[in-house]
Amino acid sequence: MASSENNKARNGMAVGALGVAATLASKARAQGSGKIKVGLLGCGGRGKGAVRQCLNADPGIEVIALADLFESKVKSAREGLLKDEKYKGRIKIDDDHMFSGFDCHEKIAKCDADLLLMATAPAFRGRQMMAAIKAGKHIFTEKPVASDVAGCLEVIKASELAKEKGLAIVCGTQRRHELNRVELMKRIHDGQIGELVGGQCYWYGGGIWYRGYQEGLSELEWQCHNWYHFNWLSGDQICEQHIHNIDVMNWCFNGPPVQFMAVGGRAHRSYNEKQIGPAKEVCRKYNNGSEAEWEKYNGDIWDHVFAELEYENGARCLSLSGHSPGSGRQNEKIVGTKGTSNCNNQISGENAWTYQGRRVNGMDQEHIDLIKSIRSGNPLNEGVRIAESTLTAIGARIAAKTGRTFKWSWLRNRCKQSLVPSQEELMSGKGIFQPIGTGRDPLV
Amino acid sequence: MVQRRKITRRDLLKSSAMAAGTLALTGAGVPLAYAQGSDTIRVGVIGCGGRGSGAANDCVKSSPGVKIVALADTFADRLNGVKNRYQVPDDRCFIGLNAYKQVLALDDVDMVILATPPGFRPVQYDAAIRAGKHVFMEKPVAVCPAGIKMVIEASKLAKQKNLGVVAGTQRRHQAAYVETMKRIHDGAIGEIVSAQCYWNMGKLWVSERKPQQGDVEWQIRNWLYFTWLSGDHICEQHVHNIDVINWAFNDLPATVWGVGGRQYRTGTKHGNIFDHFGVEFTYPNDVRTISTCRQIDGTTGRVSERIVGTKGTSNGAGKIEGENAWQYDGPNPNPYVQEHTDLIKSIRDGNPLNEGQRIAESTLCAIMGRESAYSRRQFKRTWFEKSCTLDLIPKDDLKLSDSKLIPRFAIPGEYQLAGLGGQRRG
Repeated sequence: MASSENNKARNGMAVGALGVAATLASKARAQGSGKIKVGLLGCGGRGKGAVRQCLNADPGIEVIALADLFESKVKSAREGLLKDEKYKGRIKIDDDHMFSGFDCHEKIAKCDADLLLMATAPAFRGRQMMAAIKAGKHIFTEKPVASDVAGCLEVIKASELAKEKGLAIVCGTQRRHELNRVELMKRIHDGQIGELVGGQCYWYGGGIWYRGYQEGLSELEWQCHNWYHFNWLSGDQICEQHIHNIDVMNWCFNGPPVQFMAVGGRAHRSYNEKQIGPAKEVCRKYNNGSEAEWEKYNGDIWDHVFAELEYENGARCLSLSGHSPGSGRQNEKIVGTKGTSNCNNQISGENAWTYQGRRVNGMDQEHIDLIKSIRSGNPLNEGVRIAESTLTAIGARIAAKTGRTFKWSWLRNRCKQSLVPSQEELMSGKGIFQPIGTGRDPLV
Repeated sequence: MVQRRKITRRDLLKSSAMAAGTLALTGAGVPLAYAQGSDTIRVGVIGCGGRGSGAANDCVKSSPGVKIVALADTFADRLNGVKNRYQVPDDRCFIGLNAYKQVLALDDVDMVILATPPGFRPVQYDAAIRAGKHVFMEKPVAVCPAGIKMVIEASKLAKQKNLGVVAGTQRRHQAAYVETMKRIHDGAIGEIVSAQCYWNMGKLWVSERKPQQGDVEWQIRNWLYFTWLSGDHICEQHVHNIDVINWAFNDLPATVWGVGGRQYRTGTKHGNIFDHFGVEFTYPNDVRTISTCRQIDGTTGRVSERIVGTKGTSNGAGKIEGENAWQYDGPNPNPYVQEHTDLIKSIRDGNPLNEGQRIAESTLCAIMGRESAYSRRQFKRTWFEKSCTLDLIPKDDLKLSDSKLIPRFAIPGEYQLAGLGGQRRG
């Protein structure tokens, strides 16, 4: 590490904000052309993908730590990485850098990694990011970054702290790193389709896995294993998946909506036999053969939300998300007074245009952009933006589940929704089941 | 009751507005049994519940020379209010599922108000036109594509027979809407590029089942909650707003894709309809619009429309914002009365309004939204018109004592869209 890089880092930072020596040490390692030590928090499918994309992004990346709720996943993740010829010599995970349990994020935050990749269930992201930022780590986080309003606010705080400390936060909303979309958005923001007066975004798919009973897991562990189906863990499908498209809408408008209105429900998940059968089996396993309260094992997420996002200039946009057999759609459209765009690579209308440039895979590019920004000493910080997009999805979900129309300012400043149990409540044992949304839940 | 030929009767109605020579065409005008007071419009009310009695009052209020002369309802207790108010004699009040036929058989009835549950509308409307009656009918006018076809055919026949047909989508007769739409069609907001319409509300009445009531009797008394009777609330209520958007576009959606469910209002007494729908109607040139409707107690209400153009926006109802900002400040006569005023004037002028096709099309759009939400399938209107085989029209021999199982509410993934390789349901 060249000392000039070190000085650059010092000069670029607010003096008062940085009292912790450890933080500086971490930054020093990460900047310039040296090695960047990476820890992965969340060793499921997405985590294992993200760590490889990170490794591909820069030859100086080394993986030194792994963490997951389940020890077995940490072990198998290390095994898989070590077996991969492509990363030979870059996987340096010692036994004492293998962390598991509900507090694994605290343990990995204390290790000597420069950058943490976060890919656990969204519920815990706020506390994970806060611990990491306090410990001076750069962050790559998968989307969404929360399942409730309190979580979004915590991420905003962590992001502000990251800014003070000169730490990077990049988020796995990869569309923001696709060159075609970046070029397109420049044009939209330049007024090529006129004033934005309408738009639509969709993530409607066929369904999602349901992970049944697994020997040896406590009820809460099983719930975390099957996290997608629980609102407090995943944020529901609108938050977990559809956030990609909602984020694109917010990108078009350069900010979140000002008002929410939505309808929704979960007919298919509640009533379809294929959904119900496995839930009953899990219920029997945890209740000595009884099916008395099988519904709670079937999860509480909805299967459709039809939301109207109203932006500052009055434009009302559709957000449609869900899972069921039937028609599917995953894309966006933005409508202006002078044209429309597919939000991907084309403008139709007065200033018709098609992107002709280089194409990149956004899921690779986001890591390349992150590492470059760390090395350059101008770390990207997407934290507030992704917290706002997550909050947009959560706002639409709350509007649907309460049947109430409300403003962004209320959601951001007054809403007290907090669904995720405190760290102390999270221990191997009984599951944490919250009531299924009724369509007229009270506003909190 | 003096027997007259129907053609004579109709011509007499318009005689005040027409040249004597035209009248002579009929030849049969000679009997002139009604020489005095001959332009009185004699109205039969078929369906005397809340809406039927309201429409009867509005009709009488709307124009001079209107008389309520015959009544029909499935239930005596639902008929009595109108009977007493208009002193309709016993022998002109008919009870039962086929009572409408008895009103239509009365030669001195010129016009009928059709206000039974929408599931019955196609058959009753068809019969009314065949019987040569002018028609005021409540919306919606059908609950299935088979019913829509009947209404469209009957409306063509009405045109041939020069009969008036007005449907209770009163916004079409509301001055603020009419004036706004003229401006939108003249280009005041430019090309339409987006639109929204809503009927989000709380709860409606429920008729609880009484011990002695058979399936059919209870379902008809509690008709809002059964798809075969009401068409679900997207059809029964929200058709108003969908109709306004169709009006703004002067066109119909090309494709539809909807979601919906029964999340809060799940009791048996709430039959098999949904409590919310969210539908995207896409008009030609890929102009996508939002439609939502909800009936859940305690939720935020919104009943309105919004039309967005390249030069401005409008609420459809008296206000334009943008380059050609404008606000309607003319008179606002009660549209529920005005629709009758317009109908009766058109009959008397000899140029009867015929809204049959238009209301059939808007009803069709609402039904499309429902079927798309029930099945969670996107489809084209042309497919739906040609190929959807859903037929919920009640059989002619339906009896109140019949047992009638109500199919479970639609579950996406299980609900079969009729005509797409599935079985009939409703």
